Amino acid sequence: MSHSSARTPDNVPDQPGLAAQALSLAHGRYPVIKTLNLELPQGKVTAIVGPNGCGKSTLLNGLARVHVPAGGAVLLNGRDIHTLPSREVARQLALLPQDNTAPEGLTVTDLIRFGRQPHQGFLRRWTEQDQAILEQALAAADLAELADRPLDTLSGGQRQRAWIAMSIAQQTPLLLLDEPTSALDLGHQIEVFELIRQLAGQGKTVAMVVHDLVSACRYADHLVAMADGEILARGAPSDILDPDLIHRLYGVHCDILQDPADGTPVLVNLRKSF
Amino acid sequence: MTELLIQHRNIAATLALVAALSLAMAMSLALGTVSVPLDGLWDALTGQGNAMHRFVVQELRLPRVLAGALTGAAFALAGCLMQTVARNRLATPGIIGIDNAATAFAVASVVGTGISLAPSAMALGGAATATALAFGLAGANGTRGYRFIIAGLGIGAIAGAVTQVMLSRVAIDAANAAFPWTVGSLNARSATAVSVLAAGLVAGWMAALLLGRSLNTLQFSDPVAINLGTRLKRVRALSLACAVLLTGLAVAVAGPVGMVALLAPELARALCRSGRVPLTASALAGAGFMVTADLVGRLLLAPLELPVGLITAIVGAPYLIWILVKPSSRSLT
Repeated sequence: MSHSSARTPDNVPDQPGLAAQALSLAHGRYPVIKTLNLELPQGKVTAIVGPNGCGKSTLLNGLARVHVPAGGAVLLNGRDIHTLPSREVARQLALLPQDNTAPEGLTVTDLIRFGRQPHQGFLRRWTEQDQAILEQALAAADLAELADRPLDTLSGGQRQRAWIAMSIAQQTPLLLLDEPTSALDLGHQIEVFELIRQLAGQGKTVAMVVHDLVSACRYADHLVAMADGEILARGAPSDILDPDLIHRLYGVHCDILQDPADGTPVLVNLRKSF
Repeated sequence: MTELLIQHRNIAATLALVAALSLAMAMSLALGTVSVPLDGLWDALTGQGNAMHRFVVQELRLPRVLAGALTGAAFALAGCLMQTVARNRLATPGIIGIDNAATAFAVASVVGTGISLAPSAMALGGAATATALAFGLAGANGTRGYRFIIAGLGIGAIAGAVTQVMLSRVAIDAANAAFPWTVGSLNARSATAVSVLAAGLVAGWMAALLLGRSLNTLQFSDPVAINLGTRLKRVRALSLACAVLLTGLAVAVAGPVGMVALLAPELARALCRSGRVPLTASALAGAGFMVTADLVGRLLLAPLELPVGLITAIVGAPYLIWILVKPSSRSLT
């Protein structure tokens, strides 16, 4: 809270989008993220990758103001995110956390309606515009036929799509997704990734934590590789991904080929040691 | 279309609860050692008809029924708020020890000073103390999970023991004067405490409604609630303050009546649509439950009167076991 935007350097005046500036995050006494600088490229999909416990999710949650920084700041449109009214932030930035539980019996429509809450005032009721956005979100996530089904009767993939639909209904220019395809089978993973590409195509800035490096390379424009709370490399996947980086991230050796269809890097011959 | 149906379900549930409460209140006014026929009831209430009926209904039963409805609504609303904030259906004022602490403070005022200090204020002080302690002992994010409940259980046990010690150490007259406080009964209500409770209930209910939207988001995890723009600390603090106010004032009227805060929100949740915290429905269900329980307590072994707290416990305990064994009780953990 003490990190007001007044103290941020002059080279980032009213900059649109989301950035971390010398950001440090900690779980209690244990530091997780150490003075990290990051800027999400506008209208692009950024994938954050790295080994378990490297701080990917903490960083994403920190960017979404869930954690108060231990140092530095998160800047939303050039202003410290913790000094902005929370509801205003909720109209700019949507976070889809990893562990999502919903009350028993909540339907898909009920869930998506919550996405409109940041846009509603105390007396402002559900409007036709809200209804239209709800229906768009249902259609975008291919959920129109499941609209009245309780979430606990859906498959994992359908449920994940419902949560994404809630984020879509929030109508924010920024979308932060924490492992949006974890626990999904291959078909559903691709479905969700293609939906994310589609959203970026509409001009949204997306950041997602992804476990699968190959999917990250295939669906992201920008890769951020993290280890031990720091960024080891960043850039276009095909530019930064090499066997050395893989080894530094995961401690494994591999060869990298290119997918003949689209040139995406593919890891082969993975092994723990030479 | 679905929107309309959903709205209708909530309205229907609320109307059903209002009807049930009205019926319970009418029966409570009519039945007892002197039974008033239903057609004589309205006359008696409006000051006409049989003088005996008028006296029984207006002087004896009406204040008691009102006190029952108000305390039931206050306990239930407090329970609903605390369950939501702690994200645990067991986190009700009775279990967190707020009831017991409020009682201990009130009993202390009766036995300690001989002259009864304003019991509402004392009970409120006890409720606030217990909540602050439970919150403090459970750590900064104290309302999360079982830590809050376990801390509260300990505080409740200590407060209960302190009450017993006070009652056993003082002269028998003072102990007798304080005893009604410990059982949960509508017998010993004071008119002042009832009016204070009425005002507190209106305030607490309005505040809860203002917090309603934010409370709805607490049904999700912290990150989701924050993402939707909810200011968690503020909402938690205000909700707990409401719950303390409601519990303290209700204990000042009826003593620690267990289980209302646990059962009424469950009933409300079952009737209303999911996705919203059923604040008003909980209050109505609590009022109906309390009035009915008091009526049963008066009639069951008449002319002997059973304290209302005994009836709510007899109904509540099996229900508590049922939520534990019911297959879909996921939100308990």
